[in-house]
Amino acid sequence: MKAFISAVLEGDCDKSVHDAKELSESGVSSENIVVNGLEAAMSALDAKCTLEEFNLLEIMLAGRAVMAVMKLLYPSGVATNASKGTIVIATLEGDVHDLGKNILKMVLIGKGYRVIDCGKDCPLQKLIETTANENPIAIGISGLITPVIVQVKQVKGLLAEHKLNQVKVVAGGAALKQSSPEKLNVDFVAESAFDCLHYLEKVTEATL
Amino acid sequence: MNSLEKIAATIKMQHVECVPVIAQVFGHAATLTGISINQYVRNGEILARCQLNAQRKYGYDAVFSVMDTSVETEALGSILHYYQNMYPVVVTHVLSPGSDWNDLAAPDPQKAGRMPEMLKALGILRKELGDQTLVVGCVVGPFTLVGQLLGLENTLYLAIDDPERLERLLDFATEVLISFGRAQLKAGAHLPIVFDPAASPAVIPPALFREFEMPRLRRLFQALESRGSAANWLHIAGPTASILPYYRDAGVDIANFDYCVSMNDASNMLPTICLDGNIKSLSFVEGTPAEIRKESKKLLRFFRERGGFILSSGCEIPLESRPENIAAMVEAVQTKE
Repeated sequence: MKAFISAVLEGDCDKSVHDAKELSESGVSSENIVVNGLEAAMSALDAKCTLEEFNLLEIMLAGRAVMAVMKLLYPSGVATNASKGTIVIATLEGDVHDLGKNILKMVLIGKGYRVIDCGKDCPLQKLIETTANENPIAIGISGLITPVIVQVKQVKGLLAEHKLNQVKVVAGGAALKQSSPEKLNVDFVAESAFDCLHYLEKVTEATL
Repeated sequence: MNSLEKIAATIKMQHVECVPVIAQVFGHAATLTGISINQYVRNGEILARCQLNAQRKYGYDAVFSVMDTSVETEALGSILHYYQNMYPVVVTHVLSPGSDWNDLAAPDPQKAGRMPEMLKALGILRKELGDQTLVVGCVVGPFTLVGQLLGLENTLYLAIDDPERLERLLDFATEVLISFGRAQLKAGAHLPIVFDPAASPAVIPPALFREFEMPRLRRLFQALESRGSAANWLHIAGPTASILPYYRDAGVDIANFDYCVSMNDASNMLPTICLDGNIKSLSFVEGTPAEIRKESKKLLRFFRERGGFILSSGCEIPLESRPENIAAMVEAVQTKE
């Protein structure tokens, strides 16, 4: 398991998949590989990445390895062990810069969350409909450009209209993180993907 | 001193009576004039008219023929989606990791996509303003262009999986940008600003910037300088403190710094290079004139002794900014404390 964790941390996709296959063949359960392997690797990466030393490429490479291992363990795309709950993520209409959203997705999957990705250029209606159908803990919105702020401000109101007040709303990305939760009308503004993860972990703990 | 003379003296770190102020007003000029962004980014004549209108209203020291960051990639074949009141975005990148790139040819700036419209805008602006006010064109940086041709995630993975292939693509991008930048100078720009958002440490590690991007920025700036560019102005937003030390080797004369880089860090790392920045962009939407004035005065006080400073926002002034906030920044250089 140690070698597997190192491979994921180093972003060595081929070796990560190879090691996961070996672990699986030797009888280690998929759940064990995720919890003690992938989650451990993401936690180590989390500890390494401070706001000053945030190496996005390193996270992307580890994230790519996580996604490849998940595909190996759960070919149908359904992770039975995603026990920490569901998060719906999106980049809103007019914004196609989805790198931040995709990083968040990899980090959350690596930490055992089930992630429903509404994609980029996502209309608010689609985001709310998905939320109503998937019963998530939270919605994560990533925004690189300021014109999407108008849409972000509407999310909580639309959730209330659909009686989904319990769903938390987290905003992040270059444009949105210049603002504040009060001004954006959200529950939390994340500085990074890991900052978002920490907030969600607190929310998850509180609801368990 | 007119605007151009003030900026020229500031770049040389000479003392000027009134510090230059450049609001990075691009699409906001259209909003202010009551024109849609869709029209603004497609028509050089409209763009120039809006820029002149905004400059006359606010009285800052430069105008920009800047449409958006997708002009070059569109000219090379990427497909964009245009919105009525937001900047267009790439919906289909012209390249994919598996495609054959050998057939790529640099576009003709006189014919390809919206490049001719940008050139037209520069011609009008220069004719109207002569050498009184700085007329600024724009090219993206090589890494940003490759990110727009291939998609940013694919580009980043390529840096690890096949760096030599990425380097060849970056070289091609650099040639495209040199050709477009030179056409802008010929059309009337005093200089093309180089926008390189994808080269920010928020996206790529500083080592990758140093090895892949910096030498190509140097080549680009040298090529523009040899055709009479007034200065090498590099604009990279976000937390750039870790790459500022490389700017000198890239040949930068004016370095933009964003709100997340402190005045101290920027000044210490580039002691002899002109800086422009760094008021938070979103505060032009969410803030008040009093807050903008306070931020402006703080910057002006800090740089009073050092010189080599242009008061500006850290990044683009958003489309939906409050005009009174932009006016407050411009007024700050004109009023004594």
